[in-house]
Amino acid sequence: MNGVVARITLRQLLSRRRTLLLLLLGGVLVLVAVVFRLAGDQLRALPFTAGLLGTLGIGTLMPLVALLFGTGAIGAEIEDGTALFLLAKPLRRRTVVLTKLAVAAACSAALTCGPMLLAGLISAGGLGDGLVLGMTAAAAIGSLLYCAVFVALSLVTGRALVFGLAYVLIWEGLLAGLFAGTRTFSIRQQTLAIADAIASVRRTVFDAQLDLTTAIVVGVLVLVVATLLAIRRLASYEISGETG
Amino acid sequence: MSDGQARGDVAVELANVSRWYGNVVAVNDISFRLDGGITGLLGPNGAGKSTILHMVGGFLAPSSGSVTVGGAPAWHRPAMYRRIGLVPEREAVYPFLTGREFAEANARLQGMPPDEAAAAAARAIALVELEDAADRPIGGYSKGMRQRAKVAGALVHDPPILLLDEPFNGMDPRQRLHMMDLLRGMAAEGRTILFSSHILEEVERVAERVLVIVAGRLAASGDFREIRRLMTDRPHTFTIRSSDDRALASALLTDPTIAGAALDGGLLTVRTSDFGAFSRSVPGIARRAGISLHELLPTDESLESVFSYLVRR
Repeated sequence: MNGVVARITLRQLLSRRRTLLLLLLGGVLVLVAVVFRLAGDQLRALPFTAGLLGTLGIGTLMPLVALLFGTGAIGAEIEDGTALFLLAKPLRRRTVVLTKLAVAAACSAALTCGPMLLAGLISAGGLGDGLVLGMTAAAAIGSLLYCAVFVALSLVTGRALVFGLAYVLIWEGLLAGLFAGTRTFSIRQQTLAIADAIASVRRTVFDAQLDLTTAIVVGVLVLVVATLLAIRRLASYEISGETG
Repeated sequence: MSDGQARGDVAVELANVSRWYGNVVAVNDISFRLDGGITGLLGPNGAGKSTILHMVGGFLAPSSGSVTVGGAPAWHRPAMYRRIGLVPEREAVYPFLTGREFAEANARLQGMPPDEAAAAAARAIALVELEDAADRPIGGYSKGMRQRAKVAGALVHDPPILLLDEPFNGMDPRQRLHMMDLLRGMAAEGRTILFSSHILEEVERVAERVLVIVAGRLAASGDFREIRRLMTDRPHTFTIRSSDDRALASALLTDPTIAGAALDGGLLTVRTSDFGAFSRSVPGIARRAGISLHELLPTDESLESVFSYLVRR
């Protein structure tokens, strides 16, 4: 970790417009929870909370926040040329990647878990037998996994945002629903499996579709491979676009 | 004075370096060595100047040949940046940092402790005369101020080697002169400075040595005066309008400085290999023949034509 790289990355990621947009997204989650609390069937508070946090939180908010932060952590600097100021320094590329990944994951987790925790507490009217904490803690791990993948993606292609969105919408949103095998490589499913393991609610309330061991093994594999790929790509970073 | 010299290694050396992108050759078999002083990379846009600077700066791998800085390969060697200050051509600098914060961040990333970094940043800011704007965010800087902030960031660790890609872009004439003085002063202290420019006058004013790059090749290299002489003495072509073009053509052909004269579609075109002598003798020849000169225009004075002459030479 490098403090200067971390501070610059933090200020870069938390630009006013981006933060506001993501806070608004999180606000939608809280708003739905408030509406349920005021007008919904309170006997169904746990299943509703599971659906809200699982679908809107882990299924939508988490990947979108991580996509913006993960692809913005290094990708944006490479695109506008400012990356050169960091890279023309006697710094290990590993340090740069790990620092940026840590900052992106921390920002993603904060802007995902905060609204999820608040929404969960409101709609469940409390911790909901560990459901709210389980979902929130799993979302922090899921944010890290997503960020690792998106940071690596931004070092592989200049269109990381498009490919990242395609992964979230097509692979995780569509294919993982149709073919059980594709769920293994779905970060959303891995996150839900971890949430399920932490929460102690009945299967009728919430049941993940991926078993915990597979989720952990594949999750660790994804994290390690994506991070190593990112380090490797940055170490061999070449300036593109000959200008003269 | 540079680390390279201290160890007996050449500061920057390119040996038979080529770089291609797919089928496009950007740099073609270039060799040179730099050890102290200011060297200008001169060439038209797209000639390969940036590619060369990026290879020296460790941001592009040569496709063939070797690029060494201080005796070791430039590619894949982040430790080299302790000795290099790099000013990229692209304008973008973190807009949310102030000039001072940017210089300080550069110093900290070079491994300086906070106190030392703050002092080094203040020195660098003063060196580029950016004190007045140092505490304002770079996002509000003019192009010239941003350029100076970039130079401050590159100088902050007092590197023995400086690489600058089009460093005078966007600077006003006063800032340009100041930057030229700054570079000359640093070269006098023993640093090795390599900068690129497509403007002849910039290179002429600041560089001791020039590398002319055209279409990826080293078209000419050496002392600026030598290059200037080659450029001035190349064949020049003029078109002339006068009171009697035909009589003037015959009169001019008797002059030894005229290599040829032709009347083409009523337009008199004259070629000369000695620009200076030609411009001195034409008025006399016309006067003696009783002809009035209406117009005398060089036909091909673009930098590109000068460069392509150097390549063909």
